[in-house]
Amino acid sequence: MSVSGLRKGGVTLTALGLIGLVVIYWLSFFWVSTEIRQGIVQRIFYVHVPAAWTTGLAFGIAALTSAMYLWLRDERLDRAAVSAAEGGMVFGAIMLTTGPLWGKIAWGTYWTWEPRLTLTLLLWFIFLGYFMVRSATDNPEKGKRFAAVVAIVGALDIPFIHLSVIWFRSLHPAPVVIKPEGPSLPGDMLTLLLASFAVFTVLFFGLFLLRYALETVRVELDARAREVAA
Amino acid sequence: MNLMKKITVGFLSGVLLLTGYSALGGQEMTNLPVGGALAVQSLKPYWHVFIAYAIVLVAVLGWVISMGRRLSALETRLGDSAEHQ
Amino acid sequence: MSYLRQVQAIVWKDLLLEFRTKERLVAMGAFAVLSAVLFNYAVDRTAVRPQDIAAGLIWMTIVFGGLLGVGRTFHLEAQDGAFEGILMSPAPKDAVFLGKTLANFILLYVVSLLVVAVFMLFFGLELGASPAVLALVLCLGVLGFVSLGTLFAAVSSGTRMGETLLPILVFPLLVPMVIFGTGATGRLLASRPVAEVVGDIRMLGAFAVMALAAGALLFRFVVED
Repeated sequence: MSVSGLRKGGVTLTALGLIGLVVIYWLSFFWVSTEIRQGIVQRIFYVHVPAAWTTGLAFGIAALTSAMYLWLRDERLDRAAVSAAEGGMVFGAIMLTTGPLWGKIAWGTYWTWEPRLTLTLLLWFIFLGYFMVRSATDNPEKGKRFAAVVAIVGALDIPFIHLSVIWFRSLHPAPVVIKPEGPSLPGDMLTLLLASFAVFTVLFFGLFLLRYALETVRVELDARAREVAA
Repeated sequence: MNLMKKITVGFLSGVLLLTGYSALGGQEMTNLPVGGALAVQSLKPYWHVFIAYAIVLVAVLGWVISMGRRLSALETRLGDSAEHQ
Repeated sequence: MSYLRQVQAIVWKDLLLEFRTKERLVAMGAFAVLSAVLFNYAVDRTAVRPQDIAAGLIWMTIVFGGLLGVGRTFHLEAQDGAFEGILMSPAPKDAVFLGKTLANFILLYVVSLLVVAVFMLFFGLELGASPAVLALVLCLGVLGFVSLGTLFAAVSSGTRMGETLLPILVFPLLVPMVIFGTGATGRLLASRPVAEVVGDIRMLGAFAVMALAAGALLFRFVVED
């Protein structure tokens, strides 16, 4: 796909996503019923949980495309990886900030070593390393390979981190925790949550396309600069 | 401006929800051990919801703006190299 | 030359180099002893019983001291193109990785035993009822740590930031090792029955196998040119 096509698609999806986000906000203020036990603060879930899903999706795409990049050496795979990883950083930051805002009311503390919270924090730092490695290499090809290795090892380590943080918690029970999940979510709450999932996913792919287009322009410009220099 | 509007909407909705609560309160309060618990924590949860929703907008728009700036920097470079040739 | 012989040759070369210079071994050993001294003053021993926190301190000393040594895996060979020579040898890249990792493992394992001994001595700790199991826990933990450490030492020494980058890359990945390692060590030092730590040991083993396999598979992408 051409850069202008990518950009057009990105702008369309992003605009759709932003409109969807406004609708979600409106619905969550005016339409959805309030959860009895947690009250108003439960509304944070309509952005927190979809942000968590998007973070996972983004880092998953980044790890997968990184592995495929090392295998096939197609430049487009690396562009997709870096675009998705950046999206994961943004949505991960959303998840890591909105989570404690909810936790302060529901748990009485901003931070607990709750397994999923810990896992996201570590994932975020693994991908911080991904970007630091990329920017700290003089040879861009080398940076791409190094970053891909970081993403793959990070992905392989995730099951171990997940198991270990759960293990740790079972040894040191956290203070009273109101479990957020419950499969029997009332109808309108479930509808809004699913709608929000869709909106965040659309928003992510819109932004992803924009970032991909940007990376494409940058790579082309770098190649041209190298030609001029040569 | 968008954000201002949203905060206003959010605030108004907060007021609406509070009144809605007190109307429903009669039935639901019976489930709670302490009748006044919700009244005591009153406004704090609203602020947390507003801040959380604002964070989403700031993060997403921040990313868009950062991409825009990087793109315009690239376009300047493109213009420079075109002049060069 | 068979694969094992190639690995062995690299291990032997690295260890020989180390015994000639003794740079990393002395650095890591001194680091371990000095950290224990600092911990002694950092922790109020009238408020906290040393045996309650010893496991955590031991593992943190191993991690920090280990990074100190492992981070310099490729430094000596970066000079005069020595490492290019090794890469150009017919030995496959994963054999190079396994050799380097094993050499690092032997060094760090010696250091980790020293760390435990120093803590016993300085804090008056008992070794617990099953020192052999403790040695196994240390062995598996150190193996996992060294595998990731060696892989990312190769990555970070290829960047401008060098060793500064290493902890940022490795620490998030080390959480499982620290949790299972300290969990098992703490209970072994308290002479709890071995059955209580079997789960930790299994996870440490799986972690070490994953790290070693990932390193052996991915090392070629780090050093290729």
